[in-house]
Amino acid sequence: MSISPFPPGIRLSHFCALLCLGSGPAGASPDAAASATPLGFNRDIRPILSENCFKCHGPDQNQRKAELRLDQREVAIAKGAIAPGKPGDSEVIYRIFETDPEERMPPIDSNRELSAAQKETLKRWIAEGAAYEPHWAFVPPVRPAVPATRSVPAPRYPIDAFILARLEQEGLPPAPEADRRTLIRRLSLDLTGLPPAPSDVAAFVRSRDPQAYEQLVKQYLASPHYGERLALPWLDLVRYADTVGFHNDVPIRVWPYRDYVIDAFNRNLPFDQFTREQLAGDLLPDSTITQRIASGYNRLHRISAEGGIQDKEYFAKYSADRVRTTSTVWLGATMACAECHDHKFDPFTIKDFYRFAALFSDLKEKGAYNLSGGFTRENLTEEMIFASPEQQQRMESLDAEIAKLRTEVDAVTDAQLAASRAEWEAATLAAAAADTLAWSVQRPLEAISPLGTPLAIEEDNSIVPGGKNPPNDTYVVTIPAPLERITALRVEVIQDPRFPGDEVSRGGAAFFISEIEVLGSAAAGAPPQPLRIVASQAASRTEAGYPAEAVFDGDPSTALSFVRKVGGGVALQLAEAWRGGPEATLAVRIRHSENHPYQNLGRFRLSLHTLPEPGPYADAVPDNLLKTLRVPAAQRKPAQVKEIAAYYRTVAPALAAARERLTAAVNTRDYLANAIPTMPVSKSVEPRPIRVLPRANWMDDSGEIVEPGVPGFMRQIEPAPGARASRLDLANWLVAPDNPLTARTFVNRLWRIYFGAGLCRTLDDLGSQGEWPSHPELLDWLAVEFRESGWDVKHMVQLIVTSRTYRQSSRPAPALDERDPLNRLLAHQARFRLEAEVVRDNALAVSGLLVTRIGGESARPYQPEGYYGALNFPKREYVPDLGDGLHRRGVYTHWQRTFLHPSLMAFDAPAREECTANRATSNTPLQALVLLNDPTYVEAARAFAERIVREGGWTFRGKVTWAFARALARKPTKDETRLLEGLFRQQRERYRGDEPAARELISAGAAPGAKKIAPADLAAWTSVARAILNLHETITRN
Amino acid sequence: MSPLEFHARDLTRRAFLARTTTGIGSLALGSLLHPQLFGAVEGSAEPGERWRGVVNPLHHPAKIKRVIYLYQAGGPSHLETFDYKPKLAAMHGQGMPESFTKGQQIAQLQGKELKCQGPQFEFQRYGKSGQEICSLFPHIGSVADEVCIVRSMFTEQINHDPAHTFMNTGSIIPGRPSVGSWLTYGLGAETEELPGFVVLMSAGKGGQMQPVASRQWHSGFLPSRFQGVKFQSKGDPVLYIKNPAGVTRADQQQIVDVVNQLNRVQHDAVHDPEVLARISQYEMAFRMQASVPGLMDVAQEPADVLESYGAQPGDGSFASNCLLARRLAERGVRFIQLYHRDWDHHDDVGHVKFKAAEVDQPTAALIRDLKERGMFDETLIIWGGEFGRTPMAQGKGRDHHIKGFSVMLAGGGIKGGVTYGATDELGYAAVENPVSVHDLHATMLHLFGIDHTRLTYRYQGRNFRLTDVHGEPVSGILA
Repeated sequence: MSISPFPPGIRLSHFCALLCLGSGPAGASPDAAASATPLGFNRDIRPILSENCFKCHGPDQNQRKAELRLDQREVAIAKGAIAPGKPGDSEVIYRIFETDPEERMPPIDSNRELSAAQKETLKRWIAEGAAYEPHWAFVPPVRPAVPATRSVPAPRYPIDAFILARLEQEGLPPAPEADRRTLIRRLSLDLTGLPPAPSDVAAFVRSRDPQAYEQLVKQYLASPHYGERLALPWLDLVRYADTVGFHNDVPIRVWPYRDYVIDAFNRNLPFDQFTREQLAGDLLPDSTITQRIASGYNRLHRISAEGGIQDKEYFAKYSADRVRTTSTVWLGATMACAECHDHKFDPFTIKDFYRFAALFSDLKEKGAYNLSGGFTRENLTEEMIFASPEQQQRMESLDAEIAKLRTEVDAVTDAQLAASRAEWEAATLAAAAADTLAWSVQRPLEAISPLGTPLAIEEDNSIVPGGKNPPNDTYVVTIPAPLERITALRVEVIQDPRFPGDEVSRGGAAFFISEIEVLGSAAAGAPPQPLRIVASQAASRTEAGYPAEAVFDGDPSTALSFVRKVGGGVALQLAEAWRGGPEATLAVRIRHSENHPYQNLGRFRLSLHTLPEPGPYADAVPDNLLKTLRVPAAQRKPAQVKEIAAYYRTVAPALAAARERLTAAVNTRDYLANAIPTMPVSKSVEPRPIRVLPRANWMDDSGEIVEPGVPGFMRQIEPAPGARASRLDLANWLVAPDNPLTARTFVNRLWRIYFGAGLCRTLDDLGSQGEWPSHPELLDWLAVEFRESGWDVKHMVQLIVTSRTYRQSSRPAPALDERDPLNRLLAHQARFRLEAEVVRDNALAVSGLLVTRIGGESARPYQPEGYYGALNFPKREYVPDLGDGLHRRGVYTHWQRTFLHPSLMAFDAPAREECTANRATSNTPLQALVLLNDPTYVEAARAFAERIVREGGWTFRGKVTWAFARALARKPTKDETRLLEGLFRQQRERYRGDEPAARELISAGAAPGAKKIAPADLAAWTSVARAILNLHETITRN
Repeated sequence: MSPLEFHARDLTRRAFLARTTTGIGSLALGSLLHPQLFGAVEGSAEPGERWRGVVNPLHHPAKIKRVIYLYQAGGPSHLETFDYKPKLAAMHGQGMPESFTKGQQIAQLQGKELKCQGPQFEFQRYGKSGQEICSLFPHIGSVADEVCIVRSMFTEQINHDPAHTFMNTGSIIPGRPSVGSWLTYGLGAETEELPGFVVLMSAGKGGQMQPVASRQWHSGFLPSRFQGVKFQSKGDPVLYIKNPAGVTRADQQQIVDVVNQLNRVQHDAVHDPEVLARISQYEMAFRMQASVPGLMDVAQEPADVLESYGAQPGDGSFASNCLLARRLAERGVRFIQLYHRDWDHHDDVGHVKFKAAEVDQPTAALIRDLKERGMFDETLIIWGGEFGRTPMAQGKGRDHHIKGFSVMLAGGGIKGGVTYGATDELGYAAVENPVSVHDLHATMLHLFGIDHTRLTYRYQGRNFRLTDVHGEPVSGILA
């Protein structure tokens, strides 16, 4: 502690108890130095040494001063620092009691100071023989005996025996059991993240069944919402999110992993298998799709495609992230500290860090995604998931057909095409000479959008849409058609910095054109006739599944889109040449895809051609090709001959039929592939060599190349001879019976869900600097029980929530707060705010708006406009979902890492850029603003009000009682009813005088509103509902 | 202080309150509490009890009360702003000597031929001090004697996203608190109606508009109340600050009053100080709803003030934000950070002229305005970005550069009219008095009366600080 939280000179008696319980080891008796209880190294001594001495006299060999380490007894004795039994002969004692500040330890510049009590404790410990113990969490847990207690009857549950034994020691009684309403609300929120159904509350309150509570536990454990609730902390740990995190923070599809986690908890997948599937699902024999989805765990870290980044640097970043996360998730260890140097408090060396990193170096991945085309399916190692057997079969048959058609096309040799190619060459060169090869740009006569978008015609004859960008625009452009023989139309896409992202689309990075239709009018007033398009060719690479052919297939669900960062264009061949003339015009209608709202085409230009099969290039054939064609045949180099032959195959009439079928097959396959979700998974390839990076400097190649492995001081993985340790070996090692950390880490975090704090409060650090657990024996008992139950998570949850300790009232007995302000002794239950997602879920459930569907794509609830303003590449406008997506549970909210939904963020949800083991619980004005003004909560209040009016009976009191049952699972007090009635009367009065305002309030949100309630009544009830949803109690579980 | 102690303090209060509040109305409660003892408790029912920070008393006397950080995002070229390099001009178009670049990290120029690119604009000497500043910035030139130019900054991250994170948090690992969060945690703020840490953002033209993540003003592992609050230039200035449609301020007040009264009933039953904290947060939220619109309404400023900044009310420009910064400063906000985006001049560093047109006048106007109001000496103004730009050409532009770049500082405790440190003759690396990002952070804290090695927070088993294990206050620029 560097800064005293208390001003000098202030001493209140209960502060001493507070400090000992609060910042010191929880188990330590208030005055360890003087107490008769023998000192325990782990409980009493290690925390002092670790905090004050280990930095310079501990595991880090580079920081070690005077070659002295105090974390090893032999060294400390050999160096004369400690003389067991003789504090007077111990240098340590001499130095800590030294009055000369220059000589005293810890040194002044360390900003650390020992208290008098700590000094005495160390002295007594040496006097008692200076016994050391290995750090508790690094020794495999052994099941301790369940302690005996004096109370009658003896506790039924082992958990209670541990808690009670300690309370008896301290002379404190446990709190009585909470009342049934409190209990069922607590249990329902803790196990499902939702409030209890009022009918369940009533039944439970009435029930005489001694097993009623246990039945309830069973019911909630079987609820599909149990998995959603338990997924929250796990998703924080593994930093699951819907976007890449770095720089442009674009979306990435990983939600199937989220659903995997929910499902795994729901079907109670044993935790050891859960571990294996996530770390190494791809390496399991005959791995299933589900297991490969689970292996997406290894791909959840942030990734980057920022311009100018380097593979090597970002491989190092990702690799370090995996070590930080994996060691925190499973080991509760701060291996992160060993990235630059040996750990200062725990025995993790820098080499351990990079050996651990090497366990993951077989993963197929990219470092700098920008260097190889961005976040493509290939680069992300995406695998198709959820393909139905029919889809799978169809894919295979299409693949076979494509292969067959390719063979067919390839069967026609270049030699066979020689004659027609020569004719084509001559015609092309002649056209070039006659200046008819180039596309003839037409200045539009008119350009309109049925939605009213202004379409400006620029000097270069291009068209630039302006004004508001509607979700789904259509452009209708009329151009003159003066050419005698019109064979093709070209839509040329021109990049323009007035448009966002890659400057070709009005919204987002790309445009999506679903259809282009052409109508010809031979003369003014002549009836327009549709001109059939038979082929199209794009000048730019099209996105897979978005081919040029989509614009004339008549199917509005298909679309054309270009791979980003290019202009280019698309040439549309008419079925037969159309005769234009001085008065002839063409009307061109460009429709955009409904599946890609706002992604309307930016700047474009139309032109016509007279030759057969012109390409979409300025001169109908690519510039380079024209150059090559101009080289006399005899002088062409083999590469040039090949270039011409290859291009000709794309236009040769002889191949047209086969080409068309091939294109159709490829398109169908791509459509199908697009319809089947993919996500990044783990795939093993030749491992990259991993070096120790001194001071984490990725440019420093001087470090040794290391073999994969686990921390050196722990039991080692022994791979088969000649093999290297794999991710599967790691997973098995983590869940091996002798692993000291995994089970403790997990049960400690479970405990936190049900009591607001872990038995060891430092959920992310069970190491030397971690907190000494309040009940170390109980933690070990739970860890062993977890392992021996077959890693049965539901079993553990059930053990905890059926205990008396869990069922206690959260009201502390008088004076208990003073005695045990942090509630380390658990003489009562805890009272704490709901988690961010549950705050939302609770309000939606109470109001009846909640959509309870499990899983699927992430949802986009209301979000303030402009919140993504600082995002770019592409610029983004947040478009809220329509319908169900507005009212789904918080766990499904689109998780934008660099701009997390502001309501979730206000309630302490982490950005999930980095592993988070313990969310903060804050209490801020921004939370008040969210609950008061976020449309989600206003709409919820409005919907809640409608239900109150419709279902709450006839009297005011009846209605408030009904509302309280839903929101708080209890009855209102007289005072409460009186206060709300006052509000209701004031508000009804006010809204009766201002019906427009009432109508505004009661039309909040997208959900359909009630028709038959008087607006002023409903508005006043909405105000009452807002008050109830804003109560501290509503967002608190107690 | 550790989170546990943080929490413990709160709970001490809980113990205290549990004994003392039975039957006592919460209004009387406030006066019972010793402000010195309980003022620092997170959340409180007593309006006068705001967070006063953990550095209490200060480690040494403070020079300043607040920071206005004019953050030029995208990487402003030092060679077209504050660091004149005639030798680079002379070598324009010639190969960049390998002795400078060998083994150094390069961003987008990887694998490209490295050629010198001379400064694109003239420099002039300004003020009595004769500081050399690019002639695109005559207004800043006109306050040259007030400002200190540091020409020897260097950083460790060469790409925008991690470089911003490093500049703001001293680390590239997400989850660390930003400078503003550290300061409000350490010192609190002098306002109860506004957040202690406010972020404003503007953009101009002519560069690549790089994204800026909310991580840059996040409180990381510090309690979220110390998070920066971004004021938006479009829509609600503060998210959710506006009442729902059909709800007037009087309606809102009735609801907040009833909520607070019901919460008080609840507190009387359960004696949980979190409930009292909730009440005070609702009071503060309600006050914020009243004060924010007034604060944002710069049209209230006299015409000559608007003109001096070049601000049009409601235009969301850097100029308007500079004026807002002054208004926030007047209202007691501790850390005011203005991001001005799109300094990323890869394609054409000549576009610095657009940026200059956007930032030169308002920057100088802010300095003058603060002086006139007697606030200059208690404010630290920082002007700078996340890195500089290469002396080497990237077409007509310059690439990202980390070995040497400039920042400008002015205000309380800073020597005016001084140029500190230097890069080599080609503007590549800081060679004289190099200043690291940690040094800059240490200097900021120092001016606030904080020893940067002693402002710590316990997280993951160790005491974290803004400057990690590095950093020294730059004594050469301190008055």
